[in-house]
Amino acid sequence: MERKGLRIPVILLATLLLAAGASQAWFLVRHPYFCKYAAQNGISLREARKVWGRPDKVSERVMGLTVEASLENWTKVAELASVDLKSEIGSYYYNLANAHLGQLPDRLMDYYQPFERGLFLPVGEKSTPFQIACAGDVWFALGDMTMAERDAMLGLSFSPAHKGSRYLRRLAETNLVKGDYAAASKYLRILLNSRTDRAWAQERLDGAWSPEYSERIARKRALMPRIDLVHGMDQTQLILRILLNSNASNKMALDYLLCYDLLTKDLDAFVADYDPSLTASTLYEEAMLIFLAAKGGMDVENFDHYHIAPATLERFNRFVTIYRRDGGSLGNLTGDFGKTYWYYYYFAVRNEKD
Amino acid sequence: MRRIDTLLASALALLLLVSCGGRADVRPWGPFTDRTSMIFPDYQDVTIPCNIAPLNFYYTDPTFPRPVTVFSCGPVSVTFRGREVVWKESVWKELLAAAAGSDIDVASTRGGDSVHWKIHVSAERIDPYLTYRLIEPGFEVWDDLEIVERHLEGFETRIISDWRHTQNKCMNCHIHAQGRGDLSMFYLRGAGGGAILNRDGALRKLTLRDSTMISSTVYGEIHPSGRWGVFSTNTIIPAMHSAGDIRMEVFDRESDLCVADFDGNRMLSFPGTARKDMFETFPVFSADGNAVYYCSAPAGLLPADLERTRYSLLRIPFDPESGTLGSPADTLWSGPAHDASACHPKASPDGRWLLFTVADYGTFPINHAECDLALMDLRTGGLMPMDAVNADKSDTYHSWSSDGKWFVFASKRGDGFFGKPYFSHVSPDGSVTKPFLLPQRDPHFYDHMLRSFNVPDLGNAPVGFDAAEIGRVWKDVPAEPFD
Repeated sequence: MERKGLRIPVILLATLLLAAGASQAWFLVRHPYFCKYAAQNGISLREARKVWGRPDKVSERVMGLTVEASLENWTKVAELASVDLKSEIGSYYYNLANAHLGQLPDRLMDYYQPFERGLFLPVGEKSTPFQIACAGDVWFALGDMTMAERDAMLGLSFSPAHKGSRYLRRLAETNLVKGDYAAASKYLRILLNSRTDRAWAQERLDGAWSPEYSERIARKRALMPRIDLVHGMDQTQLILRILLNSNASNKMALDYLLCYDLLTKDLDAFVADYDPSLTASTLYEEAMLIFLAAKGGMDVENFDHYHIAPATLERFNRFVTIYRRDGGSLGNLTGDFGKTYWYYYYFAVRNEKD
Repeated sequence: MRRIDTLLASALALLLLVSCGGRADVRPWGPFTDRTSMIFPDYQDVTIPCNIAPLNFYYTDPTFPRPVTVFSCGPVSVTFRGREVVWKESVWKELLAAAAGSDIDVASTRGGDSVHWKIHVSAERIDPYLTYRLIEPGFEVWDDLEIVERHLEGFETRIISDWRHTQNKCMNCHIHAQGRGDLSMFYLRGAGGGAILNRDGALRKLTLRDSTMISSTVYGEIHPSGRWGVFSTNTIIPAMHSAGDIRMEVFDRESDLCVADFDGNRMLSFPGTARKDMFETFPVFSADGNAVYYCSAPAGLLPADLERTRYSLLRIPFDPESGTLGSPADTLWSGPAHDASACHPKASPDGRWLLFTVADYGTFPINHAECDLALMDLRTGGLMPMDAVNADKSDTYHSWSSDGKWFVFASKRGDGFFGKPYFSHVSPDGSVTKPFLLPQRDPHFYDHMLRSFNVPDLGNAPVGFDAAEIGRVWKDVPAEPFD
């Protein structure tokens, strides 16, 4: 009798547990990146939904960008970013993935570019916690460990639980690259006490580095600035020039600098920073043509010096003809020239809120 | 039914196993890490006051699974087995009472080898309250700030101001006047903010700024009488270093001194300490209130001249009747002559000592690893040896116990990034002791602490307010104007 009385509540409880488990599993299947990003921030799914709300397709994709970027799966980042989200975060990761794949300038104009904010996310009082969490990825890639560490610490500060392996891993690794093992120890110890991060941390303990990891650190160290200059947090061009001054072969830093010049329409800076023997792209040819046309330098000598292809020159002439004919209207230019720097230069308008 | 019981028991056991997770992994440890000593915190041969909380610690070397630690003093002997030494408070207090004015002998035995060390117990008590701001090592922006008051004789903490009650406003550190719990202040920044003055059991919110000042007040201190405050007013510029271990730099584009009259709601400034060709900053009162110590350097073009900017330590007369800063200023310690820069002077309340920090250059020593504490004997002007106190990382943001026998400071020793409060004793002859880290109930507390203890400040009594009251002042009390 007693057994029969218990059976119904037990069955009910089991059913409820099963339903809850199935619901959780279904959520995991539908929103894997939301779940991974929550885990990277050291919070439960319940907490994540409370802080970030229910994920939708866009937020799932955006979280996918940063999760895959933290794992340095750049092909996957590029794939996720192939849908133009018309957002700063989307452009930021699209550009970062293309830079890793060696095609930043070639693909720059294929996508929404919110001026320099598609290259470097702003970090300040008006930034969102998510922007801050993502902002350091570009500095880590470029080799500025001080800026990368700053953004990781700010990411940690603004994360929901003030912890999270994505920040601690970055803090540990920036210090390992800098050779500050005492500073790295702090973060490695915390990660060693986390079931999910233990293996990652163990591989980074002193004496446990694999040849591949040693090589990774050596590559990062080669990119680091060797001269100490004090700069403002927002002096992006100066920071990039410091990186290039220390390592002229830092191609990613060079392309970021040139693309920064171009996205801010600072052609004087671009011409000063551009050396056609170090990097090449149709984008740079297009920018040079605007500069040469404005300065009266449209001559063969300059075309040769700046490696401007005849096809680019011919397209530029066509662009100018239509532009003049239509009185500066973009209507007939969008189709053929919508993905040129000329189009961006003449028609992109900075959003008021920027 | 039995099957259900068994299942439940198994589930509970599994849950217990997962939640306990076994012993903490304390690696990395040893040379080149932030855990180089045999035990952490390193309490070997430190000097502690006779009213401090239990010194809980752990052995850093995980290869000795079960060390034996024996503490003895006279007839009292306490033995611990295992890597964590965690005291029962009553047992610790009994030992401390027996050892006041003498030593506790400690024997650490691991794998057959014994290490003998001591804990020196001073009969001089330390002020029992410590306030500090908890903050992630910062870069311009902040989130979820708290100012905490810790009772040093135990482990109790109390939040005296926090982000929850102030809509996540920035707040700067809390300072006592000469260690007094009934006279202290801190800033709530931004809209609805002001300088919060805790005086004679009342809280006031003050706008310490007039139209002639560079900015609102920044660094400063309250006069022993409670009527005056001396402050700097600065244009502060944050910046980053591209290489090296300094990371963030902060410098002044301009800075002057001013005096606040808390009774007359007036701001006073004086030509001698508001010079355009000089930076003047970090003012504090002398113990008798008749002088102001501050730091000054020739105004340069910053950041270009930053590494050549060296602040000297100056003293200027102060008239407590009129609130006037007099002249001339005496140079107590010359920055250019020492090829270094002085910051954050703090006079001991007994009038005997001046504690300040010395960095290679500039005005933001917290990020300078070379920054050390210096102790000046105000009777002679000489500096006392501080090797026992200073470490290879930044040591600064210090404050005195109200009797001038103890001081606390924030040190980044170890990891180099997180400030932690260390305490040291000063004898009448100026000898200082190896500092000890603020004890915590959990010996692994600092292993997972990801915030700095910013500007630790000693108090002889609890401050008479809490975060809810500060929230009310922030929300409902208008800031008093000063002119």
